[in-house]
Amino acid sequence: MGGFLLRKAGAALIVLVVASMLVFLGVRAIPGDPAIALGAENRDPAVLAAIRHKYLLDRPLPVQYAHWIWLALHGDLGVDQRQLPVAHTIVTRIPITLEIALLSLLVSILVGIPAGVIAAVRRGRPEDYVATAGALVGLSVPHFWLGLLFIIWFAVDLHWLPASGYVTIHHPIANLEHMVMPAIVLGTGFAAVLMRQMRSSMLNSLGADYVRTARAKGLSEWSVVGRHAFRNSLITITTLLGLQLGALISGVVITETIFGIAGFGRLTIDAVNQRDYALIQGVVLVTAAGYVLVNLLVDVVYSLLNPRIRVS
Amino acid sequence: MIGTRRRVALLGAISLLLTLAVAASASAGPAKNGGTLVIGLTAGEPDVLDPTLARTFSGREVFLTFCEKLYDLNAKAQIVPQLASALPTLSKDKLTVTIPLRKGIRFNDGTPFNAAAVVKTLQRDQTLKGSTRASEISPIDSVSASGTSKVVIHLKAPYSPLTAQFADRAGMIMSPAQLDKLGDKFGTNPVCVGPFNFDNRVAGDSITLVKSSFYYGKKDVHLDKIVFKVENDAAAAAAALKAGDLQALDGIDSTQLPGIRADKALRVIKQTSLGYQGITLNLGNKNGLLKGYSNVGTPIAANENLRKAFEMAIDRKTMNKVVFGGTVLPGCTPLSPSSVWYDPSVKCTPYNPTQAKKLVQASGVSNPTVHLMVPTGTVALRQAQFMQAEEQAVGIKVVIDSTDFVTALSKADAGTYDTFQIGWSGRVDPDGNIFQFVNTLGSQNDSGYTNPRLDLILNNARKAATQKARQTLYRAAQKIILADRPLIYLYHPVTRAGLSAKLTGVRMYPDTLTRVAFAAYK
Repeated sequence: MGGFLLRKAGAALIVLVVASMLVFLGVRAIPGDPAIALGAENRDPAVLAAIRHKYLLDRPLPVQYAHWIWLALHGDLGVDQRQLPVAHTIVTRIPITLEIALLSLLVSILVGIPAGVIAAVRRGRPEDYVATAGALVGLSVPHFWLGLLFIIWFAVDLHWLPASGYVTIHHPIANLEHMVMPAIVLGTGFAAVLMRQMRSSMLNSLGADYVRTARAKGLSEWSVVGRHAFRNSLITITTLLGLQLGALISGVVITETIFGIAGFGRLTIDAVNQRDYALIQGVVLVTAAGYVLVNLLVDVVYSLLNPRIRVS
Repeated sequence: MIGTRRRVALLGAISLLLTLAVAASASAGPAKNGGTLVIGLTAGEPDVLDPTLARTFSGREVFLTFCEKLYDLNAKAQIVPQLASALPTLSKDKLTVTIPLRKGIRFNDGTPFNAAAVVKTLQRDQTLKGSTRASEISPIDSVSASGTSKVVIHLKAPYSPLTAQFADRAGMIMSPAQLDKLGDKFGTNPVCVGPFNFDNRVAGDSITLVKSSFYYGKKDVHLDKIVFKVENDAAAAAAALKAGDLQALDGIDSTQLPGIRADKALRVIKQTSLGYQGITLNLGNKNGLLKGYSNVGTPIAANENLRKAFEMAIDRKTMNKVVFGGTVLPGCTPLSPSSVWYDPSVKCTPYNPTQAKKLVQASGVSNPTVHLMVPTGTVALRQAQFMQAEEQAVGIKVVIDSTDFVTALSKADAGTYDTFQIGWSGRVDPDGNIFQFVNTLGSQNDSGYTNPRLDLILNNARKAATQKARQTLYRAAQKIILADRPLIYLYHPVTRAGLSAKLTGVRMYPDTLTRVAFAAYK
């Protein structure tokens, strides 16, 4: 197991270094002069030159990269155009986005998995059709549209929930009130994906020889479905959960914009629009690191669920 | 019977009186002290909250609440004293400007406000690396304090726009104690003279200010706290206003306006901007901004008739109705009617598609094609498509190049465009709306336009001391610009702010900044 982990960690580190180079170069490939973006209404050449000098944009690329990496290794990701430290901004925003992502993942799991199981067990029956139709709607409806609709219904018309903003977890009731709509909006799409995948995995499992044997041995249907077919179906779902968590974090951008939540996703898109290089590099590097870490964890969990993976 | 009638009449009169009393109290209501105002910022997030370095329009709105200036605007776009006690006096040779200051006031950290503090700020604006103010006050040679309540400014050359510069960020005076403490990090915890004081900032989300205990006019300050929230989506912002999450929204998209007008719990205030929206034509920008200009040789740059036809093909009034739902003010000059410098004697090129067709034929260019660079956005694209149709009708093919805004600015500076749909937020002084865009040495002369006669007129307008003299010069300047068409001005934006009906004391002057410092709940 130790050797397996070391190999996986080493590979993850290489991926991270390559990712940092791609981030660095990718940001500079975005069209448009960042000094002009940072200059806003002022395009005085002297001001633009000062901006370029301040952010080292007038130095050779290897010098810029080395400077950035050196500071990043010391936990310093530079300052943004507001003169606020990038590292502090990212650290305060990540928990907000993680909360939305995890709550929406929870919504997806609570809706998608049972719906998939029921659709598989009741294949060809009304429950299957309803679940499949619901999944189609969930996959098709765009987040921004659904989000605006929720705001109009529940905030503007009914005044049940706030339209926008975020309250910290220190005020749990208010926090949940602000998170309910974003979590449901973001979770809808993935619930649909989960439902379809769960249904497919369950159908495979239910048709397998070991399930036929279990039924022949006289086990109850609950035991056959719950203990045997369901557990084996979870292997595929676990992989999907790991990949989708990363996708959820990137998908949270639109949700955070619509609901006015100061999260990591919105920070990313704002940084790109403003050509705030320090902030873009910081958020993309942290995202890449997060993705690598999550997939590493998925590999570990996968190997625990299926010991044959470790050996091979 | 009579008794019953009298009783009914009396009851009716009492109910009517009560109803009138309730209605009167609901609408007039004295301002209450206390409360938090959450206002949505729709023009982007403010950058650094340091007046020496700040560059964004939305930052100016936030500064209004916590960083007063030597001068300010009034509702008629006239410059009035704010931290100064009177308008500046000018020496006979126009090279010395004396500014008298208010006495007995303090910065929001208790430091006394005086001439030395003003001198320190102005010197910082001149010398700090990356200062955005340096070019705005570049004619200043030296600044000194004469006693504690007078500042004396020596100019290298006469410069009439100086007072107007002091009515913007160049006139925002910073606490010398805080400058000594934070240096170039002043923007992380700024302290000025103002009704509110900076409290905290969440990057990309909000800026919070709290009522100042040092402000000289604190009896007129009613709110406890103001929170500026960055709103990136027009529909979500309007929904937040309707839901009550925001009590004010500093800009309402034309598509959201009907819904907000229909909401009885809200009201709308509006103001025609000092700025404009138009088309910049690349006439001479071949090698990049300020790198020497020569005609770029495109059909529209080389041919005066084609440029005239291009403008004559555009029906500004119909564009206002069709594209903007009647919410902008059509115009053809760089100076808005809301400016004291607006000159109605400057005549527009009339909409005349018949004449435009003739001009296209007379140009000698067969099937002329013009590329129109348009920043991405629904409304901008709609406007471009309208113009495309108008130009098609007179024989000019317009190709719309929808481009990300920052990329478009870069291309404009580099000169790699034909025409560019762009505007300007506007300044109090006419120099701020004209010089940098059409003077040969203008820092935003993306057109690459150069006209020695116009340069002379604009330089003289900077030196002229009286409004009458400057008005005459700007009249001549506008006639030249409108004839040569380095820019074609299309309209002046009208900014609308949405407010809770319970909010009073919110103002919007021609700079279209929503002023909430003295707002109160009824």
